[in-house]
Amino acid sequence: MNGRKVLIIGLDAAAPQLVFEQFREDLPNLRELIERGAYGKLRSCDPPITIPAWIVMVTSVNPGRLGLYGFRHRKRYSYTEISLPSSRSIKVKKIWDYIGERGRKVCLVGVPPTYPPPRVNGWLISCLMTPDTKREYTYPPELKEEIERLVGEYIIDVPFRREDRDAVLREIYEMTEKRFKVIKYLLTEKPWDFFMFVEIGLDRIQHAFWKFFDKEHHLYQPGTKYENVIRDYYKYLDREVGEILSLIDDDTVVFVVSDHGAKRMKGAFCINEWLIKEGYLKLKKRPEKVTDLEKADVDWENTIAWGWGGYYARIFINVKGREKSGVVDPEDYERVREELKRKILNIRGPNGEKWNTKVFKPEELYPVCKGEPPDLMVYFDDLYWRSAGTIGHNTLYLPENDTGPDDAVHDYDGIFIFFDPRRNLNGRRVDVNILDIAPTVLKLMGISVPPTMEGRVIEEVL
Amino acid sequence: MNEEKQRRKYTTVSIPVSLYERIKDLIKDTGFKSVSDYVTYVLREIVAMHEAERSSEPFTEEDVERIKQKLKALGYL
Repeated sequence: MNGRKVLIIGLDAAAPQLVFEQFREDLPNLRELIERGAYGKLRSCDPPITIPAWIVMVTSVNPGRLGLYGFRHRKRYSYTEISLPSSRSIKVKKIWDYIGERGRKVCLVGVPPTYPPPRVNGWLISCLMTPDTKREYTYPPELKEEIERLVGEYIIDVPFRREDRDAVLREIYEMTEKRFKVIKYLLTEKPWDFFMFVEIGLDRIQHAFWKFFDKEHHLYQPGTKYENVIRDYYKYLDREVGEILSLIDDDTVVFVVSDHGAKRMKGAFCINEWLIKEGYLKLKKRPEKVTDLEKADVDWENTIAWGWGGYYARIFINVKGREKSGVVDPEDYERVREELKRKILNIRGPNGEKWNTKVFKPEELYPVCKGEPPDLMVYFDDLYWRSAGTIGHNTLYLPENDTGPDDAVHDYDGIFIFFDPRRNLNGRRVDVNILDIAPTVLKLMGISVPPTMEGRVIEEVL
Repeated sequence: MNEEKQRRKYTTVSIPVSLYERIKDLIKDTGFKSVSDYVTYVLREIVAMHEAERSSEPFTEEDVERIKQKLKALGYL
């Protein structure tokens, strides 16, 4: 068992209900891995979002210890200044560091956040945080030329929130085809022991086209030419997976994983409009059109709390001595936080329907909270409603998102498929946690699992 | 000639006389031969720290704005 090679196929946002049920018969290659290997749900971290989820997977460290709560963080408790996560934000070792230290070669493509490209014992292509392809986005830097000779301009990502869906679709395929060309090249040309890639296109496709195939979606549009876009893209990915499998030897153990799942979006809840209505957030002047809160004329001296948008809401309390114009006394902090939590839990939907909202204090989710955690983390209606941070809507509920068309939200469970070409596991069902992947990979490669990793080795598949 | 060389290697910055006097007292019986020695030492430390801080920020202000727009268009913000 010792010293195996490992390939991790990362499909951002691959949903268990689609891969294991709805589309299963359309995906012959993945089906074979499932039926001869083991499979199950993979519980993501909190929040179940691309950053921090992938880096939680490859470190087996929770977001609190990483100090990573999403795609942006406050800078020194500023109201408006933010910092973005980069490879330098990650202060703990990734699995490829442990593997590289033992002299074994790694090859990594698109794992967020890996921009700027860090030094690894092998080859690396950065992720969706790369500002543009004019920058250095590979390690070693010469790899960039090799890639561009192969595919021309490499495509990092495709922003999908545009009404021109034909263009979005075309661009996503172009991006993914180029990425797979690069992946297949690296798989055959480089002498690797550990290979991991993340394809982001699936997440983009699901966000842009979910309402055309899900009959339960509140904006479901039946019979359009986009009806099978998501199914077809899964089928396309399956073909690419098939080609990849034909390129590897039977010494290589394969994982197919996602960082979180996906489900239909019911709408966006305007968190800051609600905080204004409840008297927690004060403006000097109400904007005439829809505006980001950071650009609005906020009366910070009289504001108790404000929020951020995203697939989950982050709430911040304006604390004396912590924020520049803080108003909440530190001794009142817990009382205000409890009161807000209670009120948020009571928020109902646009038709008075009860919501299954979850509100967390970060310390309830994580044993330590490094960096600048929010004061409250909110999943509106079990994540079915996203959070809109903009103001000026004159309503609390938006049928669509506030920053362009979007049909899907994230779900807690991603996918886990394990396949060892040398052993038949007969499609054993094993549900895992995102923290369990890194220790299992190390064990397979004959490397002892460091005690700092929080997950377990998935012994059922070894 | 030597004097000319020295002059080209160093330049003068002004500090308040009161600060100069405090430093002079502070470095008595230490390894620092002069106030200039001490000021150079302290500045080198601080400048290196600030440079390190700057280099660990991988995104320029312009990058941050651009990536923010992109992340917004991707639904993350």
